[in-house]
Amino acid sequence: MSTSVTMRPCGDFRTSYKQDTTIFETKTIRWFAILAIAFACFAPFILDAYYLTLFIQVSYLGIAALGLNILVGFTGQISLGHGAFFGFGAFASAWLNTQFNIPVVFCIPLAGFLTMAVGMMFGMPAARIKGLYLAIATLAAQFIIEDFFGRAEWFSGGAAGSLAEPINIFGFAFDTDESFYYVALFALVFMFIWGCNLMRTRDGRAFVAVRDHYLSAEIMGVKLNKYRLLSFGISSFYAGIGGALYAHYLGYVSAEGFTIFMSIQFLAMVIIGGLGSIKGTLMGVVFMVLLPEAMEASVSVIKDTSIGAHPMLVDGLAYIKEMAIGLVIILFLIFEPEGLAHRWNQIKNYWKSYPFAY
Amino acid sequence: MAANSAAAKQDKVFVGHLADMSGPTAFVGKEYADGVRDAMAYINANGGIKGTGLEFETIDYAYKVPQAIASYKKWKSRKKMVAMQGWGTADTEALISFVARDKIPVYSASYSGHLTDPKGKNPHTKKPAPYNFFYGASYSDSCRALVQWAAKDWKTKGSKGKPKFTHIGANHPFPNAPKAACAEYATELGFDVQPSVVISMKPGDFKAQCLSLKSSGTHYGYIGNLGGSVMSLIKSCNTVGTDIQFMSNIWGGDRKIFEAIGEGVKDYIFPTMTPFWDSNVDGMKLVKNISKMSDSSGTKSRPHHYIRGVCSAYYMKEAMEWAKDNGGITGKNVKKGMYATQNWVPKGLEGVCLPATWKDDDHRGIAEVNIYKGNFDKGNVSIEQVDTVSLERRADWLGY
Repeated sequence: MSTSVTMRPCGDFRTSYKQDTTIFETKTIRWFAILAIAFACFAPFILDAYYLTLFIQVSYLGIAALGLNILVGFTGQISLGHGAFFGFGAFASAWLNTQFNIPVVFCIPLAGFLTMAVGMMFGMPAARIKGLYLAIATLAAQFIIEDFFGRAEWFSGGAAGSLAEPINIFGFAFDTDESFYYVALFALVFMFIWGCNLMRTRDGRAFVAVRDHYLSAEIMGVKLNKYRLLSFGISSFYAGIGGALYAHYLGYVSAEGFTIFMSIQFLAMVIIGGLGSIKGTLMGVVFMVLLPEAMEASVSVIKDTSIGAHPMLVDGLAYIKEMAIGLVIILFLIFEPEGLAHRWNQIKNYWKSYPFAY
Repeated sequence: MAANSAAAKQDKVFVGHLADMSGPTAFVGKEYADGVRDAMAYINANGGIKGTGLEFETIDYAYKVPQAIASYKKWKSRKKMVAMQGWGTADTEALISFVARDKIPVYSASYSGHLTDPKGKNPHTKKPAPYNFFYGASYSDSCRALVQWAAKDWKTKGSKGKPKFTHIGANHPFPNAPKAACAEYATELGFDVQPSVVISMKPGDFKAQCLSLKSSGTHYGYIGNLGGSVMSLIKSCNTVGTDIQFMSNIWGGDRKIFEAIGEGVKDYIFPTMTPFWDSNVDGMKLVKNISKMSDSSGTKSRPHHYIRGVCSAYYMKEAMEWAKDNGGITGKNVKKGMYATQNWVPKGLEGVCLPATWKDDDHRGIAEVNIYKGNFDKGNVSIEQVDTVSLERRADWLGY
């Protein structure tokens, strides 16, 4: 076979920077991606609401996680407040819609910009501090914003939460899993292509330079403060868009969900997927969304067996599930610290040289 | 053949069961879930819904909203779920729109006031919740009942002046749910409402908060949190030496908490919707039989959260029976079944579940609150009923 599915074929040389920074490594991969998206368009005709809801989850969490990866993986900053920014986007979109009667399709990007502003405000300390100190500053953002949700009734509805109308375009409401699936698919593809392109621009390369060696970057003329702050802004923009989609999918936003645990979950997604990898982000999100479902399914198998009815096991199963999720994450950090994206590349390399390793 | 398959379809109906057994509210979530689960298993073992089996699946979603949504969608699309037994505020609220559209009644253990307004009549109601039911008084109504009790207590003690009332709890939707409604009513009854005191949902050192309660001279403090946080608060306030009459929400008071706190518990006031395990009422026999589904020895003593779970499952059972006789067990008919009878106690649970009335424009099933007092005295926990408050069904309280 002269062409390969997963790797650059022999003789495919790149002679310009432009060729070297294409989104898809080979033409075949590009065609596969286009075909996959085309097939994905038919998913609601084949899959039931359960699969669709999992995809929708992957999409809104994926967009937000990509934002965090831009900040952590590409720029080398840290944020422990991403869950709160996600929540801010959700409330902001609902608030813009109900208070100012702005159509939901416009509220979603506007919520992204509002979250961007908030993110940049909390990202300001990044200009002066880094590492653990920055982590604590962003942790403060998490708690301040969470507390704000509880108090600012005008914005979030306080204890009663906030209503979020479904997306409505020319009288067609995207309020079912089947219809919202297309919104989610569009948003995911759009935001990921945007993310990929961003990393190929001058700004994207500046982010990577700041991450790799800030002193060298500064000597080269990269404005550290500007890019650190910009990275916080873009990261929050993505979180805001993800949150807004979440709000309009559920139709209702309550402050309870956007805790520190959500922030940690986002961090886990990008670490498991692979820091500094766009496709890795998606892999990590898919992994984190499917893991509890897979664990639930396997625990259900034990429940159905004869030993499953034993009282100790019945009580224990709940904990087995939670512990297994924790264990898988720990194992990942030990054996695959560079994430799923790295493992994927290793698999590709293995097949590239199969059966001769050298 | 067609008739046969139709009959086979009606042979079993599916009920989804969301529970928090390992998450942040597992302290009471597990007990409540056991009650629901045992009750459904018992119903199945004793003829089901007039011959129709109850198929159910319990999923421990650990209070994570995305998992609750995924489970709901799985049950809806694959199992043709007709009703759901739910749990917390976050997931119940996230599912309001979905269940209303899919016509699936949800029996939750979230008692937020705004779930009681099915048609969105009250301007305070953010979102009408036509398919949401719960067994018990709402958090707001329970708090109003406690305030009524406090007003009476103030008079009985012959105290002079305006009593001071403070809401104590985390700045989160669950503790905050009754805050505004309760403060309004307390003001109406002549209380001097103090700014609320924020304490975390997690256990910790709350001496600073106790000092501010002491300096404000609060007489009655309503605790909106549960479990470990309540324990820490009482211990901290005892150290500081406050003289406050504590009153808590329904999740904040039970034997387990009093045993854990030990000597610090003095005249702790809390509401219940059922009597206690050792109460001598007719229906408790059935509860004890139900309990044997997961404790064959029958030696386990269950808290009132467990019994409330049993009531929740049994109201659903009787609504399903009505539905079966009136067009089949579908979500829509089960909802109608909830309105079919008034002042209604499920058969066999007399004296355990309070008589309830749901209407299609008013989902305040219970408007009665039993108030208990807990004490810890030389190693023994003593719990006694001190009052029963019947609340008016005021129109401005619906959904608030």
